[in-house]
Amino acid sequence: MTRTEIYDKVLEIVHDCVPETQEQELKESSVINTDTAIDSMGFTLIICRLEAVFDIKIPDRQWQKLYTVGDVVTAIEKRLK
Amino acid sequence: MFQAKYPKYPSFAALLEDLAARQPEAPALRFGAAGCKSYLAFQKDVQARAEALKAGGKRCLGVLCDGSYACVREIFAAALAGMQLVLLDENLPEEELPALIRKTDIDALWGEDALDADLTPWLTRGAADGAGRVLFFTSGTTDSSKAVVLTQASLCASAWNGGALLPLSPEDRLLCLLPLNHVFGFVCGLLWGLSCGACVALGRGARYYAEDLKHFSPTAVAVVPMLLGFLLKQEALNQGLRLVLIGAGDCPPALPAAVKARGIRVSFGYGLTECSSGVALSLGEDPYAMQICPDFRVRVAEDGELLIENESCMMQGYCKDPAATAAVLRDGVLRTGDLGRLDEKGLLHVTGRKKEILVFPDGTKLFLPEYEARLRSVLPERDFAVIELKAAPALVLRGRETEREAVTRALEPLMRELPLSRRLKRVILDPSPLPRTATGKIQRWILQQKVVSQYDKN
Repeated sequence: MTRTEIYDKVLEIVHDCVPETQEQELKESSVINTDTAIDSMGFTLIICRLEAVFDIKIPDRQWQKLYTVGDVVTAIEKRLK
Repeated sequence: MFQAKYPKYPSFAALLEDLAARQPEAPALRFGAAGCKSYLAFQKDVQARAEALKAGGKRCLGVLCDGSYACVREIFAAALAGMQLVLLDENLPEEELPALIRKTDIDALWGEDALDADLTPWLTRGAADGAGRVLFFTSGTTDSSKAVVLTQASLCASAWNGGALLPLSPEDRLLCLLPLNHVFGFVCGLLWGLSCGACVALGRGARYYAEDLKHFSPTAVAVVPMLLGFLLKQEALNQGLRLVLIGAGDCPPALPAAVKARGIRVSFGYGLTECSSGVALSLGEDPYAMQICPDFRVRVAEDGELLIENESCMMQGYCKDPAATAAVLRDGVLRTGDLGRLDEKGLLHVTGRKKEILVFPDGTKLFLPEYEARLRSVLPERDFAVIELKAAPALVLRGRETEREAVTRALEPLMRELPLSRRLKRVILDPSPLPRTATGKIQRWILQQKVVSQYDKN
Protein backbone atom coordinates (compact mmCIF):
# COMPACT_ATOMS: atom_id res chain seq x y z
CA MET A 1 0.00 0.00 0.00
CA THR A 2 1.37 3.45 -0.87
CA ARG A 3 1.56 6.30 1.63
CA THR A 4 -1.12 8.15 -0.33
CA GLU A 5 -3.47 5.17 -0.13
CA ILE A 6 -2.87 4.91 3.62
CA TYR A 7 -3.46 8.65 4.00
CA ASP A 8 -6.73 8.46 2.07
CA LYS A 9 -7.92 5.57 4.22
CA VAL A 10 -6.93 7.40 7.41
CA LEU A 11 -8.96 10.43 6.31
CA GLU A 12 -11.97 8.24 5.49
CA ILE A 13 -11.87 6.70 8.96
CA VAL A 14 -11.27 10.04 10.70
CA HIS A 15 -14.29 11.55 8.91
CA ASP A 16 -16.38 8.52 9.75
CA CYS A 17 -15.43 8.39 13.43
CA VAL A 18 -15.56 12.14 14.02
CA PRO A 19 -18.11 13.58 11.56
CA GLU A 20 -17.25 17.13 12.72
CA THR A 21 -13.96 16.79 10.77
CA GLN A 22 -15.76 16.38 7.45
CA GLU A 23 -15.87 20.13 6.97
CA GLN A 24 -12.20 20.56 7.87
CA GLU A 25 -9.31 20.43 5.48
CA LEU A 26 -7.00 17.83 6.97
CA LYS A 27 -3.42 17.70 5.76
CA GLU A 28 -0.56 15.47 6.83
CA SER A 29 0.74 18.43 8.83
CA SER A 30 -2.57 18.97 10.66
CA VAL A 31 -2.02 18.75 14.41
CA ILE A 32 -4.50 16.23 15.74
CA ASN A 33 -6.07 18.16 18.57
CA THR A 34 -5.27 21.72 17.58
CA ASP A 35 -6.25 21.82 13.92
CA THR A 36 -9.00 19.20 14.08
CA ALA A 37 -12.17 18.51 16.04
CA ILE A 38 -10.74 15.29 17.45
CA ASP A 39 -10.68 14.90 21.24
CA SER A 40 -8.96 12.10 23.14
CA MET A 41 -11.98 9.76 23.04
CA GLY A 42 -12.44 10.40 19.32
CA PHE A 43 -8.79 9.65 18.81
CA THR A 44 -9.12 6.37 20.70
CA LEU A 45 -11.99 5.39 18.43
CA ILE A 46 -9.99 6.31 15.32
CA ILE A 47 -6.95 4.28 16.37
CA CYS A 48 -9.10 1.24 17.16
CA ARG A 49 -10.75 1.43 13.74
CA LEU A 50 -7.40 1.92 11.99
CA GLU A 51 -5.95 -1.10 13.79
CA ALA A 52 -8.89 -3.22 12.68
CA VAL A 53 -8.85 -2.00 9.08
CA PHE A 54 -5.09 -2.33 8.61
CA ASP A 55 -4.81 -5.41 10.85
CA ILE A 56 -2.02 -3.88 12.90
CA LYS A 57 -1.47 -3.04 16.57
CA ILE A 58 -0.16 0.33 17.69
CA PRO A 59 0.86 0.03 21.38
CA ASP A 60 -1.04 2.40 23.70
CA ARG A 61 2.25 3.98 24.69
CA GLN A 62 2.85 4.96 21.03
CA TRP A 63 -0.60 6.57 20.68
CA GLN A 64 0.53 9.32 23.01
CA LYS A 65 3.35 10.21 20.66
CA LEU A 66 1.21 10.74 17.56
CA TYR A 67 0.98 14.48 17.03
CA THR A 68 -0.04 15.11 13.43
CA VAL A 69 -2.17 13.24 10.90
CA GLY A 70 1.12 12.49 9.12
CA ASP A 71 2.46 10.82 12.29
CA VAL A 72 -0.54 8.47 12.22
CA VAL A 73 0.11 7.63 8.56
CA THR A 74 3.79 6.98 9.32
CA ALA A 75 2.94 4.72 12.28
CA ILE A 76 0.69 2.61 10.05
CA GLU A 77 3.19 2.59 7.19
CA LYS A 78 5.92 1.28 9.53
CA ARG A 79 3.75 -1.55 10.78
CA LEU A 80 2.66 -2.61 7.31
CA LYS A 81 6.24 -3.02 6.14
CA MET B 1 -26.67 8.33 61.42
CA PHE B 2 -25.80 6.08 58.49
CA GLN B 3 -25.95 2.35 59.00
CA ALA B 4 -23.82 0.98 56.20
CA LYS B 5 -24.47 -2.67 55.44
CA TYR B 6 -20.79 -3.43 55.01
CA PRO B 7 -17.75 -3.26 57.31
CA LYS B 8 -15.20 -0.47 57.11
CA TYR B 9 -12.07 -2.54 56.52
CA PRO B 10 -8.74 -1.47 58.04
CA SER B 11 -6.71 -3.02 55.21
CA PHE B 12 -6.94 -4.85 51.88
CA ALA B 13 -6.01 -8.08 53.73
CA ALA B 14 -8.97 -7.66 56.10
CA LEU B 15 -11.29 -7.03 53.16
CA LEU B 16 -10.15 -10.20 51.40
CA GLU B 17 -10.21 -12.29 54.55
CA ASP B 18 -13.77 -11.27 55.39
CA LEU B 19 -15.20 -11.75 51.92
CA ALA B 20 -13.35 -14.99 51.22
CA ALA B 21 -14.86 -16.34 54.45
CA ARG B 22 -18.37 -14.95 53.93
CA GLN B 23 -18.85 -15.67 50.22
CA PRO B 24 -15.93 -17.83 49.07
CA GLU B 25 -17.43 -18.98 45.79
CA ALA B 26 -18.98 -15.66 44.74
CA PRO B 27 -17.20 -14.07 41.77
CA ALA B 28 -14.85 -11.31 42.87
CA LEU B 29 -13.24 -10.39 39.54
CA ARG B 30 -14.07 -11.00 35.90
CA PHE B 31 -11.49 -10.15 33.26
CA GLY B 32 -10.39 -10.76 29.68
CA ALA B 33 -12.49 -12.94 27.38
CA ALA B 34 -13.82 -15.30 30.07
CA GLY B 35 -11.58 -15.06 33.13
CA CYS B 36 -13.18 -15.20 36.56
CA LYS B 37 -11.87 -15.49 40.13
CA SER B 38 -14.02 -16.15 43.16
CA TYR B 39 -13.24 -14.29 46.38
CA LEU B 40 -11.51 -17.37 47.76
CA ALA B 41 -9.48 -17.99 44.60
CA PHE B 42 -8.49 -14.33 44.44
CA GLN B 43 -7.40 -14.39 48.09
CA LYS B 44 -5.28 -17.50 47.48
CA ASP B 45 -3.64 -15.94 44.41
CA VAL B 46 -2.89 -12.79 46.35
CA GLN B 47 -1.49 -14.65 49.34
CA ALA B 48 0.79 -16.78 47.17
CA ARG B 49 2.12 -13.73 45.35
CA ALA B 50 2.53 -11.86 48.66
CA GLU B 51 4.78 -14.64 49.94
CA ALA B 52 6.96 -14.32 46.84
CA LEU B 53 7.16 -10.55 47.27
CA LYS B 54 8.07 -10.90 50.94
CA ALA B 55 10.85 -13.28 49.99
CA GLY B 56 12.15 -10.69 47.51
CA GLY B 57 12.74 -8.28 50.38
CA LYS B 58 11.72 -5.11 48.50
CA ARG B 59 9.88 -2.36 50.34
CA CYS B 60 8.24 -0.07 47.80
CA LEU B 61 6.56 -1.29 44.64
CA GLY B 62 5.76 1.03 41.75
CA VAL B 63 2.95 -0.42 39.67
CA LEU B 64 2.45 0.71 36.08
CA CYS B 65 -1.29 0.18 36.15
CA ASP B 66 -2.64 -1.59 33.08
CA GLY B 67 -5.90 -2.62 34.75
CA SER B 68 -5.36 -6.34 34.19
CA TYR B 69 -6.07 -9.11 36.68
CA ALA B 70 -2.31 -9.54 37.20
CA CYS B 71 -2.07 -5.84 38.03
CA VAL B 72 -4.88 -5.99 40.62
CA ARG B 73 -3.38 -9.13 42.15
CA GLU B 74 0.01 -7.43 42.36
CA ILE B 75 -1.44 -4.38 44.11
CA PHE B 76 -3.22 -6.50 46.72
CA ALA B 77 -0.22 -8.82 47.13
CA ALA B 78 2.21 -5.94 47.70
CA ALA B 79 -0.20 -4.54 50.26
CA LEU B 80 -0.35 -7.90 52.04
CA ALA B 81 3.43 -8.16 51.89
CA GLY B 82 3.73 -4.90 53.82
CA MET B 83 5.16 -2.91 50.92
CA GLN B 84 4.49 0.72 50.16
CA LEU B 85 2.60 1.00 46.88
CA VAL B 86 2.95 3.70 44.24
CA LEU B 87 0.34 3.54 41.48
CA LEU B 88 1.63 4.95 38.20
CA ASP B 89 0.12 5.73 34.82
CA GLU B 90 1.21 2.97 32.42
CA ASN B 91 1.47 5.52 29.61
CA LEU B 92 3.77 7.94 31.40
CA PRO B 93 6.60 9.14 29.20
CA GLU B 94 9.59 7.01 30.16
CA GLU B 95 11.80 10.02 30.76
CA GLU B 96 9.47 11.14 33.58
CA LEU B 97 9.69 7.88 35.51
CA PRO B 98 13.12 8.31 37.16
CA ALA B 99 11.98 11.46 38.98
CA LEU B 100 8.84 9.73 40.24
CA ILE B 101 10.86 6.69 41.35
CA ARG B 102 13.19 8.94 43.34
CA LYS B 103 10.38 11.00 44.77
CA THR B 104 8.52 7.99 46.16
CA ASP B 105 11.43 5.64 47.06
CA ILE B 106 10.45 2.88 44.64
CA ASP B 107 12.80 -0.11 44.80
CA ALA B 108 10.82 -2.47 42.53
CA LEU B 109 8.64 -1.92 39.48
CA TRP B 110 5.75 -3.99 38.14
CA GLY B 111 4.79 -3.67 34.48
CA GLU B 112 8.17 -2.40 33.31
CA ASP B 113 8.30 -5.09 30.60
CA ALA B 114 6.20 -2.76 28.46
CA LEU B 115 8.90 -0.08 28.62
CA ASP B 116 11.76 0.37 26.19
CA ALA B 117 14.13 1.75 28.80
CA ASP B 118 15.79 -0.17 31.61
CA LEU B 119 14.91 1.69 34.77
CA THR B 120 16.88 -0.53 37.14
CA PRO B 121 19.64 2.07 37.63
CA TRP B 122 17.06 4.54 38.94
CA LEU B 123 15.57 2.28 41.60
CA THR B 124 16.17 3.42 45.17
CA ARG B 125 16.79 1.59 48.46
CA GLY B 126 13.04 1.54 49.17
CA ALA B 127 10.80 3.28 51.65
CA ALA B 128 11.27 2.84 55.36
CA ASP B 129 7.99 2.52 57.29
CA GLY B 130 5.91 2.47 54.10
CA ALA B 131 3.69 -0.46 55.08
CA GLY B 132 0.03 0.34 54.55
CA ARG B 133 0.72 3.36 52.37
CA VAL B 134 -0.64 3.77 48.86
CA LEU B 135 0.58 6.74 46.83
CA PHE B 136 -1.27 8.40 43.97
CA PHE B 137 -0.10 11.29 41.80
CA THR B 138 -2.44 14.26 41.67
CA SER B 139 -2.11 15.08 38.01
CA GLY B 140 -0.69 11.93 36.57
CA THR B 141 1.89 12.93 34.09
CA THR B 142 4.22 15.69 35.15
CA ASP B 143 7.27 15.06 37.23
CA SER B 144 6.39 18.04 39.39
CA SER B 145 2.96 16.66 40.25
CA LYS B 146 2.46 15.81 43.89
CA ALA B 147 2.45 12.30 45.29
CA VAL B 148 -0.45 12.03 47.73
CA VAL B 149 0.16 9.63 50.60
CA LEU B 150 -2.99 7.62 51.30
CA THR B 151 -3.33 4.34 53.15
CA GLN B 152 -5.12 1.07 52.62
CA ALA B 153 -7.35 2.08 55.55
CA SER B 154 -8.20 5.49 54.06
CA LEU B 155 -9.02 3.94 50.69
CA CYS B 156 -11.20 1.25 52.28
CA ALA B 157 -12.91 3.95 54.36
CA SER B 158 -13.56 5.92 51.18
CA ALA B 159 -15.12 2.87 49.53
CA TRP B 160 -17.22 2.35 52.66
CA ASN B 161 -18.41 5.97 52.53
CA GLY B 162 -19.45 5.57 48.90
CA GLY B 163 -21.15 2.25 49.68
CA ALA B 164 -23.04 3.83 52.57
CA LEU B 165 -24.75 6.23 50.16
CA LEU B 166 -24.79 4.02 47.06
CA PRO B 167 -24.70 0.41 48.22
CA LEU B 168 -24.01 -2.39 45.77
CA SER B 169 -25.05 -5.98 46.47
CA PRO B 170 -23.27 -9.29 45.80
CA GLU B 171 -25.55 -9.65 42.79
CA ASP B 172 -24.17 -6.46 41.27
CA ARG B 173 -21.43 -6.31 38.68
CA LEU B 174 -19.30 -3.14 38.71
CA LEU B 175 -17.39 -2.37 35.52
CA CYS B 176 -13.95 -0.90 36.12
CA LEU B 177 -13.08 1.20 33.06
CA LEU B 178 -10.94 3.92 34.61
CA PRO B 179 -7.21 3.71 35.28
CA LEU B 180 -6.36 2.35 38.71
CA ASN B 181 -3.65 4.98 39.16
CA HIS B 182 -6.40 7.58 39.53
CA VAL B 183 -7.94 7.47 42.98
CA PHE B 184 -11.46 7.78 41.51
CA GLY B 185 -10.80 4.76 39.30
CA PHE B 186 -9.25 2.78 42.14
CA VAL B 187 -11.93 3.45 44.73
CA CYS B 188 -15.06 3.76 42.60
CA GLY B 189 -14.02 1.29 39.92
CA LEU B 190 -12.60 -1.41 42.17
CA LEU B 191 -12.74 -1.05 45.97
CA TRP B 192 -16.38 0.12 46.07
CA GLY B 193 -17.45 -3.13 44.37
CA LEU B 194 -15.19 -5.43 46.37
CA SER B 195 -16.15 -3.80 49.70
CA CYS B 196 -19.80 -4.54 48.97
CA GLY B 197 -19.04 -8.13 47.94
CA ALA B 198 -20.05 -7.42 44.34
CA CYS B 199 -18.25 -8.74 41.27
CA VAL B 200 -15.84 -6.30 39.63
CA ALA B 201 -15.34 -6.65 35.89
CA LEU B 202 -11.96 -5.33 34.80
CA GLY B 203 -12.25 -3.36 31.58
CA ARG B 204 -9.95 -4.49 28.78
CA GLY B 205 -8.51 -1.06 27.99
CA ALA B 206 -9.31 1.88 25.75
CA ARG B 207 -9.79 -0.27 22.64
CA TYR B 208 -12.77 -1.99 24.29
CA TYR B 209 -14.51 0.87 26.08
CA ALA B 210 -17.72 0.49 24.10
CA GLU B 211 -17.63 -3.30 23.78
CA ASP B 212 -16.94 -3.92 27.47
CA LEU B 213 -20.45 -2.97 28.51
CA LYS B 214 -21.91 -5.63 26.25
CA HIS B 215 -19.18 -8.13 27.12
CA PHE B 216 -19.46 -7.87 30.92
CA SER B 217 -23.12 -6.75 31.26
CA PRO B 218 -22.45 -4.56 34.31
CA THR B 219 -25.16 -3.25 36.61
CA ALA B 220 -22.99 -0.30 37.67
CA VAL B 221 -20.13 1.68 36.17
CA ALA B 222 -17.99 4.64 37.25
CA VAL B 223 -16.98 7.04 34.48
CA VAL B 224 -15.50 10.45 33.81
CA PRO B 225 -17.72 12.82 31.79
CA MET B 226 -15.82 12.48 28.53
CA LEU B 227 -15.97 8.68 28.65
CA LEU B 228 -19.69 8.83 29.35
CA GLY B 229 -20.15 11.11 26.35
CA PHE B 230 -18.27 8.59 24.24
CA LEU B 231 -20.34 5.64 25.52
CA LEU B 232 -23.57 7.50 24.86
CA LYS B 233 -22.44 8.41 21.35
CA GLN B 234 -21.61 4.78 20.69
CA GLU B 235 -24.99 3.66 22.12
CA ALA B 236 -22.95 1.41 24.38
CA LEU B 237 -24.95 1.51 27.64
CA ASN B 238 -26.17 -2.05 28.15
CA GLN B 239 -29.53 -3.37 29.24
CA GLY B 240 -29.32 -4.23 32.90
CA LEU B 241 -27.15 -1.23 33.73
CA ARG B 242 -28.89 0.42 36.68
CA LEU B 243 -26.36 2.93 38.00
CA VAL B 244 -23.84 5.30 36.42
CA LEU B 245 -21.50 7.17 38.76
CA ILE B 246 -19.87 10.24 37.20
CA GLY B 247 -16.87 11.95 38.73
CA ALA B 248 -13.45 13.53 38.36
CA GLY B 249 -14.43 16.35 36.03
CA ASP B 250 -16.95 19.04 35.21
CA CYS B 251 -19.99 17.48 33.63
CA PRO B 252 -22.38 19.19 31.21
CA PRO B 253 -26.05 18.64 32.22
CA ALA B 254 -26.84 16.90 28.92
CA LEU B 255 -24.87 13.81 29.96
CA PRO B 256 -26.71 12.85 33.18
CA ALA B 257 -29.97 13.77 31.44
CA ALA B 258 -29.21 11.36 28.59
CA VAL B 259 -28.46 8.56 31.06
CA LYS B 260 -31.67 9.21 33.00
CA ALA B 261 -33.66 9.22 29.77
CA ARG B 262 -32.57 5.61 29.33
CA GLY B 263 -34.10 4.72 32.71
CA ILE B 264 -30.71 4.41 34.42
CA ARG B 265 -29.97 5.99 37.78
CA VAL B 266 -27.20 8.55 37.64
CA SER B 267 -25.16 9.94 40.48
CA PHE B 268 -22.55 12.66 40.33
CA GLY B 269 -19.63 12.64 42.71
CA TYR B 270 -17.33 15.32 44.08
CA GLY B 271 -14.02 14.24 45.51
CA LEU B 272 -10.31 14.86 45.76
CA THR B 273 -7.27 12.63 45.73
CA GLU B 274 -6.32 14.20 49.08
CA CYS B 275 -9.52 12.72 50.61
CA SER B 276 -9.05 9.24 49.08
CA SER B 277 -11.75 10.04 46.46
CA GLY B 278 -15.44 10.86 47.10
CA VAL B 279 -16.59 13.55 49.51
CA ALA B 280 -20.20 13.89 48.34
CA LEU B 281 -22.57 12.12 45.96
CA SER B 282 -25.87 13.14 44.43
CA LEU B 283 -28.70 10.78 45.31
CA GLY B 284 -31.80 12.65 44.17
CA GLU B 285 -33.16 14.13 40.97
CA ASP B 286 -30.68 17.01 40.83
CA PRO B 287 -27.28 15.53 39.89
CA TYR B 288 -25.46 18.62 41.14
CA ALA B 289 -26.98 18.64 44.67
CA MET B 290 -24.79 16.23 46.59
CA GLN B 291 -25.24 14.46 49.88
CA ILE B 292 -22.08 14.63 51.97
CA CYS B 293 -20.60 11.20 52.73
CA PRO B 294 -21.11 10.06 56.35
CA ASP B 295 -17.53 10.44 57.59
CA PHE B 296 -17.05 13.93 56.14
CA ARG B 297 -17.71 17.40 57.48
CA VAL B 298 -17.81 20.19 54.92
CA ARG B 299 -17.81 23.91 55.74
CA VAL B 300 -17.77 26.92 53.48
CA ALA B 301 -15.16 29.59 54.26
CA GLU B 302 -15.99 33.29 54.06
CA ASP B 303 -14.57 33.49 50.56
CA GLY B 304 -16.63 30.47 49.43
CA GLU B 305 -13.83 27.91 49.59
CA LEU B 306 -14.86 24.41 50.66
CA LEU B 307 -13.12 23.21 53.83
CA ILE B 308 -13.17 19.50 54.56
CA GLU B 309 -12.59 17.53 57.74
CA ASN B 310 -12.40 13.79 57.93
CA GLU B 311 -10.35 11.45 60.11
CA SER B 312 -10.71 8.22 58.17
CA CYS B 313 -10.09 9.24 54.54
CA MET B 314 -7.73 12.21 54.75
CA MET B 315 -4.26 11.95 53.22
CA GLN B 316 -1.21 11.72 55.46
CA GLY B 317 0.27 14.50 53.34
CA TYR B 318 2.18 15.07 50.11
CA CYS B 319 5.18 12.78 49.90
CA LYS B 320 8.35 14.53 51.16
CA ASP B 321 6.71 17.93 50.82
CA PRO B 322 5.72 19.25 54.26
CA ALA B 323 5.45 22.82 52.99
CA ALA B 324 2.91 21.87 50.31
CA THR B 325 1.04 19.75 52.86
CA ALA B 326 0.92 22.57 55.41
CA ALA B 327 -0.38 24.95 52.74
CA VAL B 328 -3.57 22.92 52.31
CA LEU B 329 -3.94 20.74 55.43
CA ARG B 330 -3.89 22.35 58.88
CA ASP B 331 -5.32 20.93 62.10
CA GLY B 332 -7.13 18.27 60.12
CA VAL B 333 -8.88 20.78 57.84
CA LEU B 334 -8.25 20.53 54.11
CA ARG B 335 -8.49 23.69 52.04
CA THR B 336 -9.81 22.28 48.79
CA GLY B 337 -9.31 25.26 46.49
CA ASP B 338 -12.84 24.57 45.23
CA LEU B 339 -15.73 26.96 45.70
CA GLY B 340 -19.21 25.88 46.69
CA ARG B 341 -22.23 26.28 48.92
CA LEU B 342 -24.45 24.19 51.14
CA ASP B 343 -28.19 24.53 50.50
CA GLU B 344 -30.94 24.56 53.11
CA LYS B 345 -31.05 20.74 53.05
CA GLY B 346 -27.33 20.52 53.67
CA LEU B 347 -26.62 19.37 50.11
CA LEU B 348 -23.35 20.42 48.55
CA HIS B 349 -23.18 22.42 45.30
CA VAL B 350 -19.71 22.92 43.81
CA THR B 351 -19.64 26.23 41.95
CA GLY B 352 -16.08 26.79 40.76
CA ARG B 353 -12.39 26.80 41.56
CA LYS B 354 -10.27 29.16 43.55
CA LYS B 355 -6.95 27.53 42.88
CA GLU B 356 -5.18 27.88 39.59
CA ILE B 357 -6.18 24.58 38.13
CA LEU B 358 -8.25 23.51 35.15
CA VAL B 359 -10.14 20.21 35.22
CA PHE B 360 -11.39 18.77 31.95
CA PRO B 361 -14.20 16.30 31.22
CA ASP B 362 -11.78 13.39 30.77
CA GLY B 363 -10.49 13.96 34.32
CA THR B 364 -7.27 15.64 33.18
CA LYS B 365 -6.04 18.34 35.55
CA LEU B 366 -3.75 21.18 34.53
CA PHE B 367 -1.94 23.03 37.31
CA LEU B 368 -1.62 26.35 35.56
CA PRO B 369 1.52 27.83 37.14
CA GLU B 370 3.38 24.62 36.33
CA TYR B 371 1.90 24.29 32.84
CA GLU B 372 2.57 27.91 32.00
CA ALA B 373 6.15 27.55 33.25
CA ARG B 374 6.66 24.79 30.69
CA LEU B 375 5.17 27.01 27.98
CA ARG B 376 7.44 29.81 29.12
CA SER B 377 10.44 27.62 28.28
CA VAL B 378 9.44 27.64 24.59
CA LEU B 379 7.83 31.10 24.52
CA PRO B 380 10.25 33.23 26.53
CA GLU B 381 9.60 36.97 26.73
CA ARG B 382 5.99 36.53 25.64
CA ASP B 383 2.84 37.66 27.43
CA PHE B 384 0.37 34.77 27.62
CA ALA B 385 -2.05 32.83 29.79
CA VAL B 386 -3.81 29.49 29.56
CA ILE B 387 -7.58 29.34 29.93
CA GLU B 388 -10.31 26.77 29.36
CA LEU B 389 -12.20 27.08 26.10
CA LYS B 390 -14.79 24.54 25.02
CA ALA B 391 -13.61 22.01 27.59
CA ALA B 392 -9.98 22.09 26.41
CA PRO B 393 -6.84 24.12 27.19
CA ALA B 394 -6.35 27.23 25.10
CA LEU B 395 -3.39 29.59 24.99
CA VAL B 396 -4.10 33.31 24.81
CA LEU B 397 -0.95 35.03 23.57
CA ARG B 398 -0.38 38.72 23.05
CA GLY B 399 0.53 38.95 19.40
CA ARG B 400 -0.69 39.20 15.84
CA GLU B 401 -2.09 36.63 13.42
CA THR B 402 1.02 36.98 11.27
CA GLU B 403 2.99 35.34 14.08
CA ARG B 404 0.83 32.21 14.20
CA GLU B 405 3.16 29.99 12.20
CA ALA B 406 6.20 30.94 14.28
CA VAL B 407 4.29 30.40 17.52
CA THR B 408 3.05 27.00 16.35
CA ARG B 409 6.60 26.01 15.44
CA ALA B 410 7.89 27.13 18.83
CA LEU B 411 5.22 25.13 20.65
CA GLU B 412 5.59 21.94 18.63
CA PRO B 413 8.45 20.25 20.54
CA LEU B 414 6.70 20.71 23.86
CA MET B 415 3.30 19.65 22.53
CA ARG B 416 4.81 16.48 21.10
CA GLU B 417 6.09 15.59 24.58
CA LEU B 418 2.65 15.94 26.17
CA PRO B 419 -0.16 13.40 26.01
CA LEU B 420 -3.07 14.36 23.78
CA SER B 421 -5.34 15.42 26.64
CA ARG B 422 -2.77 17.95 27.90
CA ARG B 423 -1.93 19.57 24.58
CA LEU B 424 -3.21 23.04 23.72
CA LYS B 425 -6.35 22.77 21.65
CA ARG B 426 -6.35 26.38 20.53
CA VAL B 427 -3.90 29.26 20.25
CA ILE B 428 -5.56 32.66 20.32
CA LEU B 429 -3.47 35.62 19.23
CA ASP B 430 -4.67 38.94 20.60
CA PRO B 431 -2.79 42.22 20.10
CA SER B 432 -4.21 43.80 23.27
CA PRO B 433 -2.44 43.43 26.64
CA LEU B 434 -3.66 40.68 28.95
CA PRO B 435 -5.78 41.96 31.86
CA ARG B 436 -3.72 42.16 35.05
CA THR B 437 -4.14 43.24 38.65
CA ALA B 438 -2.19 46.18 40.08
CA THR B 439 0.41 43.67 41.25
CA GLY B 440 0.80 42.22 37.77
CA LYS B 441 -1.13 39.00 38.28
CA ILE B 442 -3.19 37.91 35.30
CA GLN B 443 -6.93 38.31 35.82
CA ARG B 444 -7.75 34.97 34.34
CA TRP B 445 -11.50 35.13 34.81
CA ILE B 446 -11.71 38.46 32.95
CA LEU B 447 -9.61 37.02 30.15
CA GLN B 448 -11.77 33.89 30.12
CA GLN B 449 -14.99 35.94 29.85
CA LYS B 450 -13.55 38.09 27.07
CA VAL B 451 -12.33 35.16 24.99
CA VAL B 452 -15.48 33.10 25.49
CA SER B 453 -17.73 36.01 24.47
CA GLN B 454 -15.62 36.68 21.36
CA TYR B 455 -15.65 33.00 20.50
CA ASP B 456 -19.41 32.77 20.92
CA LYS B 457 -19.86 35.79 18.62
CA ASN B 458 -17.80 34.17 15.90
